[in-house]
Amino acid sequence: MKPAYFLLFFAILCTSCKRQVFYDEFDPVFKTGDSIKWSVKNLDQKRWSVDRGFTGKNIFWVRANVKLISSVGGRLGLQVDAFGAYEIYWDGVKIGNNGKPGSINKPEIPGTECQYFLLPDSLSNIGMHTVALRTTQFSYPKLQRGIGLKLNTYINLIKRPLVISSVMFIMAGAFFIAFFYYAFLYFNSHKRSYPVMIFSIICLLFFSLLIMEYIKYYIEIPYPQFFIRLEIIGWLTFSISILVPLYFSIQFSLKRKLLLLSALLVTLVSIYIYHYGHYDISARYYSFAMWITTMIIVLEAIYRKEKGSFLVLAGMLASTVMNSYLVYDFGIFIFYTFIVFAMLYLHTIKMREIELAHESSLLLSSRLQLELIKKNIQPHFIKNTLTSLMDWVEDSPKQGAEFIQALATEFDIMNKIAEESLIPIRQEISLCQMHLKVMGFRKEIAYQWEDFGIKDDELIPPAIIHTLLENGITHNAPYQDGTMKFRLTYSEDLHLKEYVFETIGENRELSDERIGGGGFKYIRARLEESYPGRWTFSSSASNQGWISKITLSDTTI
Amino acid sequence: MRILIIEDEARIARRIERMTNDFFEGNATISIIDSLKKGIEFLEKEKINILLLDLNLNGRDGFEVLSTMTSRSFQTIVVSANTENALRAFELGVLDFVPKPFDRERLFLALNRAVTLKKESNNSIRYLSVRKTGSIKLIDLDQMGYIQGAGIYSEIHLLDGSKELHDKGLDTLEKILPSGFERIHKSYIINIVQADRILVSSGSRYNLQLKNGEVLPIGRSRYKGFKQQFEKHFE
Repeated sequence: MKPAYFLLFFAILCTSCKRQVFYDEFDPVFKTGDSIKWSVKNLDQKRWSVDRGFTGKNIFWVRANVKLISSVGGRLGLQVDAFGAYEIYWDGVKIGNNGKPGSINKPEIPGTECQYFLLPDSLSNIGMHTVALRTTQFSYPKLQRGIGLKLNTYINLIKRPLVISSVMFIMAGAFFIAFFYYAFLYFNSHKRSYPVMIFSIICLLFFSLLIMEYIKYYIEIPYPQFFIRLEIIGWLTFSISILVPLYFSIQFSLKRKLLLLSALLVTLVSIYIYHYGHYDISARYYSFAMWITTMIIVLEAIYRKEKGSFLVLAGMLASTVMNSYLVYDFGIFIFYTFIVFAMLYLHTIKMREIELAHESSLLLSSRLQLELIKKNIQPHFIKNTLTSLMDWVEDSPKQGAEFIQALATEFDIMNKIAEESLIPIRQEISLCQMHLKVMGFRKEIAYQWEDFGIKDDELIPPAIIHTLLENGITHNAPYQDGTMKFRLTYSEDLHLKEYVFETIGENRELSDERIGGGGFKYIRARLEESYPGRWTFSSSASNQGWISKITLSDTTI
Repeated sequence: MRILIIEDEARIARRIERMTNDFFEGNATISIIDSLKKGIEFLEKEKINILLLDLNLNGRDGFEVLSTMTSRSFQTIVVSANTENALRAFELGVLDFVPKPFDRERLFLALNRAVTLKKESNNSIRYLSVRKTGSIKLIDLDQMGYIQGAGIYSEIHLLDGSKELHDKGLDTLEKILPSGFERIHKSYIINIVQADRILVSSGSRYNLQLKNGEVLPIGRSRYKGFKQQFEKHFE
């Protein structure tokens, strides 16, 4: 839980910064036409319109007043966010241009959406000032985009994007490395896990999103190309919004993930269509849809007491706190960062789980090996065998010697297969036949073995048929005529292999040992070891005695 | 002598049968049964003197029925591969535990214990199992004051004043009880911890007073031996 508190604390800390205000901004007014007199500070603006109107390929002027309230403490600068190509005047003095306005016979050289201008010291006193723009907007003639003006020291205006992008690029770099790390991890790991791949893709998308967002500060994008970047950002946000819930739904093993994610996809597509062209709103709605979906997944995971679900909830809440208190345009990126952090943490938890599972599977393998070796030295087997052996040697030494041979052969086979996790079925059958010979000497029953359809080289975990055979010998008695038969039948189709093992003899009184004992646990553990999730095993009484079925499949059952 | 062998390994069962037959020189009726369930059914109907029992039968742990066996009038000898169970078997009052693989000498030793009167101390026994309508009750030996012979049965007098009837006779019980349980009379075995003092009355009649005040007779022939044990215990 500690990382969860840390996340929340950090989020609240981040929201406690404020900005100082130096100026008031008034709404701009427009007029189509061209006159250098329109640049002056004091002009009668009565016949100017608050709408730009349809300007087509004409020159038009924009005028806006700003009131400097206090000194900014340095050389004053002006940031202008506007579309088009323009010359700019400050209190009637031309302070620069952005692109070059066109005319009827001269094409326009488009400017960039954002531009910075240094203001003369003599015109930087406190009080009212006028900004006038002589503009053309040949591209997107119908688009009436607002004009944004910001005053600050010139150095601050220039430096601020640098500061923001440096922080954002540190973040982007981290995601870029994470992308490579998890991509390599995915392609090089023995068992390719989808969450790793998805996480890697999310890291890449997120890296791209940050780069695309802040590319505006250092690459000059002429305003006609302005929307390409926004479109790309939109699709990146769209993809992340679908992948994040997908990741969590897999990590938290959500039941109806397809249903939920389809609903999300439909919602995202609807947002895209309905708010087409409104990039910021679309991005916010995408994120909101993603947030809601992820919250549903997380809350459901908490209900099921999934590991790490509380931390993810904390991350989600932290991201919301950030998003609702930060007015900066990068609030949304911090929001995503928190979510990605939560994902990263969840991922490490899951990795630890996989590590543990791997360790315990190794442990299980060696335990199963030990169990197999123990089969022949456990007191019940060895001491009863030795007692019978003693009797045979005392009574009829020749057969006693044969008994010893059979026992030695069984031990030999056991020894050979002890360290394997899969052996050819023919070897397993030899083991069973030798065991029957030994047991025949002990129990003085003429056991019979039959097998049908065996493919000698088919692999099977060691001693599982042997275990079924032992069970049959223990829990079945021969029929009145003294016979007892074991039958192994193999069949297969395209995807399924089946072994049917039958004990043909009278069932003794049913004891829990037969189905709940260590033998069946051994069989199941061995099957799971070599055919994880791709096997079935059943064992029950039949009209002839007892029947057990093992199926092995290509795909998960 | 009637003997029952419960053993699921045919060869071993025959070995036990052959050796037992040799031991009794043909004067024994021996039955062989290969499962506990059938064995119990057999014992419902037939009376036997000695049971030779394999504890691990057809994958079943024979302990669930061992106390049923030891509560009966016959002596139980366990013949088993699982030597680690020996102590548990002795606690429940079996006469002997013959580990597999066994030879003739070892089985004879066990059978000898069953037929001779000589007491051998089995210090591992902790309980006597008593059959009560449909169930088995285990009585802690420390809770026993004395045992009184009652025909072919015995009456166990407990410290809390209650009595339990045991299917075994005093002679049979004497063989499985540990040292500290002394036969003072043909009809009495006492727990020496409960003995208070020996009372001598006229005509060389000896009595033992127990800590709870009860007075039991001491047999004339057993007096000397018991006095020694008594003094040794209270030294």
